[in-house]
Amino acid sequence: MAKRYGLVIDLERCTGCQTCIIACKMENNLEVGSGIRVETVGGPSRDTPEGTYPNLRMHYLPIPCMHCDEPPCLPSCPTEAIYKRQDGVVLVDEEKCNGCRECLETCPYDVLVYYPEKNKVWKCTLCAHRLDQELQPFCVLCCEMEAMFCGDLGDLSSQVSKLMDQKNAFTLKPEFGAKPAIYYCPPKPRQE
Amino acid sequence: MTSTEEQGEKLVRTVCHTNVAQGCSLLAHVRDGAITKIEPGDFPDPRYRHICARGLAAMKLAYHPDRLKYPMKRLGVRGEGKWQRISWDESLDTIATKLKDISERYGSRSLLWAMSGSGCLDQAYLKFARCCEGTFAGLIGFGDAAGPCGDRVSFGVDWGERYLTDLEKPGLCVFWGNNPAETQIMGIRMLMDAKERGAKVVVIDPRFTATASKADEYIQIRPGTDAALALGMINFIIEQGLYDSSFISNHTVGPFLVNGQTGLFLRERGIVPGRSDDHYLVWDTVTNEVRRHSDQGVTPALTGVYKVGGIECRPAFELLANKAREYTPDKVAEITEVPSDIICRLASEYSQRRPVASFRGMGLQRTFHGDLSFRAITALAAITGNVHLKGPQPPVLNRRAFLQAGGRCAIMPLLKIYDAIAKEDPYPIKALWIAKHNMLNQIANAKLVRDKLLPRLDFIVVVDLFMNASACYADILLTASSFLEQTDLMTPPIGNPGVHNYLQLQQKVIEPLYESKPDLEILTELAQKMGFGEYFNKSAEEYIDLLLSSGHPSVEGITLEKLKEGPVQVRPYPVPTFSTPSGRIEFYSEKLLGLGQELPCYMEPLESRRRPLAQRYPLSYFTTHSRYRVHSVFANVSWLRELESEPVLEINPSDAEARDIRDGDLVCAFNDRGKVKLKAKVHQGIRPGIVNVTQGWWPQHFAEGSHQDLTHCAINPAQEVVYEPNTALYDVLVEVERVREQ
Repeated sequence: MAKRYGLVIDLERCTGCQTCIIACKMENNLEVGSGIRVETVGGPSRDTPEGTYPNLRMHYLPIPCMHCDEPPCLPSCPTEAIYKRQDGVVLVDEEKCNGCRECLETCPYDVLVYYPEKNKVWKCTLCAHRLDQELQPFCVLCCEMEAMFCGDLGDLSSQVSKLMDQKNAFTLKPEFGAKPAIYYCPPKPRQE
Repeated sequence: MTSTEEQGEKLVRTVCHTNVAQGCSLLAHVRDGAITKIEPGDFPDPRYRHICARGLAAMKLAYHPDRLKYPMKRLGVRGEGKWQRISWDESLDTIATKLKDISERYGSRSLLWAMSGSGCLDQAYLKFARCCEGTFAGLIGFGDAAGPCGDRVSFGVDWGERYLTDLEKPGLCVFWGNNPAETQIMGIRMLMDAKERGAKVVVIDPRFTATASKADEYIQIRPGTDAALALGMINFIIEQGLYDSSFISNHTVGPFLVNGQTGLFLRERGIVPGRSDDHYLVWDTVTNEVRRHSDQGVTPALTGVYKVGGIECRPAFELLANKAREYTPDKVAEITEVPSDIICRLASEYSQRRPVASFRGMGLQRTFHGDLSFRAITALAAITGNVHLKGPQPPVLNRRAFLQAGGRCAIMPLLKIYDAIAKEDPYPIKALWIAKHNMLNQIANAKLVRDKLLPRLDFIVVVDLFMNASACYADILLTASSFLEQTDLMTPPIGNPGVHNYLQLQQKVIEPLYESKPDLEILTELAQKMGFGEYFNKSAEEYIDLLLSSGHPSVEGITLEKLKEGPVQVRPYPVPTFSTPSGRIEFYSEKLLGLGQELPCYMEPLESRRRPLAQRYPLSYFTTHSRYRVHSVFANVSWLRELESEPVLEINPSDAEARDIRDGDLVCAFNDRGKVKLKAKVHQGIRPGIVNVTQGWWPQHFAEGSHQDLTHCAINPAQEVVYEPNTALYDVLVEVERVREQ
């Protein structure tokens, strides 16, 4: 059976260090932008909590391309530049992309980046070039908190499948029906 | 051969040098002499493989378009920005002539080297200062000296974290003013591992930080009052009988009798006839007489009053208990503004959820009496037996041979250079050499330094990579190589919690760029011109060989060649558990008797909101660290600036509303020392009454002024007695107002 690559991101462990963003820039030679962003779930701006003391709460949410099973961006692309590999990785063919940015409108996760100087759209590739060499995505390799895991979601014995099961993993915005391959483990409730 | 090597890529292991005292291993990919990529370096023990956004971005420092490319001399007035390119020969000739001239006119000690740097070879500057018989100032007083002042008293070492943060199986982790998720990243993963294994996490901090967001309980304490909280907990624990008598008897000065007349520990000399040595004495509850603690069958008293030779004596633990009795839950609640039930519950957990790991942050010790907070927390850990006795020991290197010089230099605490320059007290400083740090960006009371101190200096040399707040005041500006362009030996950062105990080689990854030179080479060439070239006659690798040749068991078999292959663990060796005068944890210190601080106590911060000054300047002002910079390093790196584009002043909505300030408004924070203008960030995470600017931004990033223009350089005399005074960077009062549109 073909592999189905995906990520499991443990929000309990993520401290919002943003190393994944710099790792993505490094691996993909990006001066500006990144294939992943880290949002603060909490207050009005980055690194701020919701609520008032003593009931302050905040956690971080890394958002790469979701490599959806049914990616809404794919059919929206008029030049058929967006395609899905056998192993589930969704890619943009730079040769075919005409910079029309239709895909940016359809992605529920806002993960596509438009580079005006090249007139091309780029996004997280799940480091497909590394997966092909049996290496982990570079952001996963550089995740200081060991909060990100990459593996075969189709293999029930894989580490990612086990984590999804043990930690009640969920996907973002399931209502869009895109069936993302990025799963999140929720932050733990507080211990008395 | 790996696939990358086949493709013409070379892999070079080195160590991140910018992230002070973290020691993260880096693996650089090099093609055609240029770095193409940096990734985390593997570690023999994978728990110590670490990386952060800054470490990855380090290559952007080396290849930064604004790198200084050649030596320059100043034209026009200082700070005007007019420069002329000169050769290395001319720059070093000028420096040699000026240093000799100033030395002859004002005395050799008027030459000051002020430097930082975490590599062993960075101490070449100390060696150079010695050769000149000049003055040397280290970086510890920039905000990091109070912790060591506390721990030198308690443990006899500069950083006692190794004793307090055993992360194997803690039941409770308490973070006191500590935010490792953003500042000491080496510790946070192990913390989350401990939490996953069931540890409860408590964070005590006036700011709700990324670390606080991971806590089971977050306590928003009034700043600078942690010593009172710890003493309140000590009081509760002693009153409830929850202390660990056995640990106190065996590992602390608790059982040692203190002479009620002198305050000194009672010794055998003069008490036991015929004995002239200095054994400490205890009251044996079995025989009801004074005995040596080490005598067989002794069960020492921890409490009570005993007459010895007509003198009233008390065990040191009794004195601690008496001191702590002043800190009732209600009184501590009044001081700390933490409810008394929380104080009592936390105290009870400290004694019952053992082992407890206590993390004491740098923020904690940046108030005027930060050393007392450190001591109080240590005493709390000690009386509850939450001290880990087997910490890593540092390697013993052949530093004496490396530092060998023709003379000696004076060591001057950082906070003493203000008076030395301004008032020639205790002697004049006339030449300043700044290296390995951006001193004028980071020094407290920076406006005073710029306006009043710099004009009194005859000569300023700066060695740097960039035209920053320090470089722009240089008379001669030398171009430094980045750490990726020079070799050094890195010792383990064992002062930090959760870190490794490995020696590592910071290998040169690429040749020095442009006309830049490694610091050691600069000093070697200048030493020839100054006439003491015989003390600078080795290459970096030869000096590392020399450093490793101490013959000490800690470095047995560790060679340069071995270090080229990867990190090597420091060999364990026998040492006394604690290097205090008594060999035990000292919560009672004879050294501080004259200052009334023989026991930890609470003292109101210098510029607290309860001081009269608060009528004019009612807000406490913090300058905490950011995850996007290491002090002022990386503030000019675009990769990181994209994540945090400009400085902001964090302020609670209640304080903002009272000043008609909305999120994003341009505001001015000011006091008698200076002002800084920047945008406001209004949020609930910061305690009412406090504002914060993350430090390390460069002056051009602010609309006006700089974050250090508001801080002060007040000296704490108790810290001078123990070590050196600390800059109380988080003990500052300001007022903030909205900048009205013109």
